[in-house]
Amino acid sequence: MTPRPLALTMGEPSGIGPELALMAWKARQGQGLPPFFVIADPDHLTALAEKLNLSVPVVVTEPDRVNEMFPLALPVVPLDMAVVASPGTPNVADAPAVIESIRRGVSLVQSGAASAVVTNPISKSPLLRAGFPHPGHTDFLGVLAEEHTGVFARPVMMLWSESLAVVPVTVHIPLAEVPAKLTQDLIVETARIVVRDLVQRFRIQHPRLALAGLNPHAGEDGTLGPEDAAVIAPAIEHLRSEGVDATGPYPADTLFHAGARTRYDAALAMYHDQALIPIKTIAFDSAVNVTLGLPFVRTSPDHGTAFDIAGTGKANPASLIEALKLAERLSR
Amino acid sequence: MAAQSLPVVAILPGDCTGIGPEQTARILHDGRLRHVARLVYVGDKRVLDMGAKHAGVTVDYVVYASVSAVDWNDPRVPVIDLGNTDPSQFKLGELSPESGRLTGETLSRAVDFAKAGEIDAVTFAPLNKQAMFKGGWHFPDEHKMFAHFLNHTGPFSEMNVLEGQWMTRVTSHVSLRSALEQISIESISRALRLADDTLRKAGIEKPRIAVAALNPHAGEGGLFGTEEIDIIRPAIEAMQREGILCEGPFPSDTVYLKAFAGHYDSVLAMYHDQGQIATKLKGFNKGVTITAGLETVFTTPAHGTAFDIVGKGIADTGAYEAAVKLAARIASRKIEERARAA
Repeated sequence: MTPRPLALTMGEPSGIGPELALMAWKARQGQGLPPFFVIADPDHLTALAEKLNLSVPVVVTEPDRVNEMFPLALPVVPLDMAVVASPGTPNVADAPAVIESIRRGVSLVQSGAASAVVTNPISKSPLLRAGFPHPGHTDFLGVLAEEHTGVFARPVMMLWSESLAVVPVTVHIPLAEVPAKLTQDLIVETARIVVRDLVQRFRIQHPRLALAGLNPHAGEDGTLGPEDAAVIAPAIEHLRSEGVDATGPYPADTLFHAGARTRYDAALAMYHDQALIPIKTIAFDSAVNVTLGLPFVRTSPDHGTAFDIAGTGKANPASLIEALKLAERLSR
Repeated sequence: MAAQSLPVVAILPGDCTGIGPEQTARILHDGRLRHVARLVYVGDKRVLDMGAKHAGVTVDYVVYASVSAVDWNDPRVPVIDLGNTDPSQFKLGELSPESGRLTGETLSRAVDFAKAGEIDAVTFAPLNKQAMFKGGWHFPDEHKMFAHFLNHTGPFSEMNVLEGQWMTRVTSHVSLRSALEQISIESISRALRLADDTLRKAGIEKPRIAVAALNPHAGEGGLFGTEEIDIIRPAIEAMQREGILCEGPFPSDTVYLKAFAGHYDSVLAMYHDQGQIATKLKGFNKGVTITAGLETVFTTPAHGTAFDIVGKGIADTGAYEAAVKLAARIASRKIEERARAA
């Protein structure tokens, strides 16, 4: 059986997503990229390619013909609606197309027409104004997964690069809410999902998890805060009793250097920036966002819509290229 | 600069169970920093002897009763022998509360010389925070101890320096919950003034300071926290009005990359790990730690006692030498200012 192609969503059409898709296709040979198609408005992509002098031919097609088209042109599975798209200025009128592209991506991967979903960045505020009720991209994917399978899915965000994989246990909440939100249950549940996907998708037989502390020096025996000993350490004990190779809590400032990184397959950070600071410092351009806990593989570049440079051709496709490569590797 | 106008820097061997003694002997034995400062060893001479043996060098020194008695025309290394630490009582490479107690005592004696106006700065080889704490010096870090020795009540802070970049933070060795409570317009303003002042004293005329945000995505317009809107931005704006070149708040996952790329001289973090994760990855453990804001200049290499290589004579002295140079640079400018004012 020939491998199925990857589905790439359009993302916010006024952001850098569409031009990144064009650039990634151009780089397909040098980067050895697997066949992928974009779920988008083909006229918009054609116009954008011309505007940016990218000489990328666009071909409208169905998923089952993507593999034969991919060497010749960027395959586009068309949306039913045209997009307005003005680079740098998101238009609420495009919100239905943005949402439809994600829906179609999930449908195609659930039906087996695509091997994985790679998503381009979206912008929250135009979607919110259009009545989109989900707090973020990832939550929406969880809901779509449940619609298809009838099984509750708890998506877990992982930031991945060749040299570091890190999962924030709490994500998009104020830092002041983190100490209260951080419970043993939350840590244990998150770790279980990480372990399952490390085994099933990353093909790591016995994954090693390292957990960061919440406080400086991981609390220094309780003198610098109680949570490390009272919440994180018991969660680690619990995981170990289930047979999970989990260790810590480690001081976060010495958990990410090259020597330390050889001792674990994924690190669990307790809050957003504790995960994002090391991954951005180690792999600024090439880090990828992977969603664990879903019935399908989903990756995305770890940057936003970059409205300030959208439509200028200055955007760097490195993270999207890595996201495409990882999606292929995980869905093999 | 004529030798007599160079600042007097006390050089201390740090914890005698670590690499400090051998590093100290190595940088003293060949006078490699003679053009930078007038160095005086403050500590037990037996610790220096041991260090010289480990480093495989000979330190030609002469013992004085006090710093004021030193004959700076004598090319030999001046030593103030405190006679308090017999290194043969301790096992190399092993944490010892008693050695920690003595390390603190030696530091306090050096501060006495500073209070008496006999030295301009103190550079100390690595100490062991835990050994000192267990040895009875109940301070969260040595900076608070120095402030205590000096009866200092104003603002002061640890700064981490590497290749012209100065990293500092609003809160330090406290729990994350306490750090969140301590972040205010006042504490941020204080930290910005201190950073600006310290960098100027080190010779950076117009320090550019980036301020890190507290929340994910710098609060995403208030969606992920309001401290950026209510506290950090107003503090930055107030300090800009005072003439400080500060900008932000920037999302903390990329603010250090901006500084490392040369856009800023300094980054102000809101809490310990926010600053330490990026700077340690960047190799700031090869840099210098300075206690900013105190009357006496204190510097130390940012690395630790390196128990795994003690006694082998292989410990690198680069960060330690940088610490002496930085102390001398700040002390020199202080002396010049005092001379101008007189």
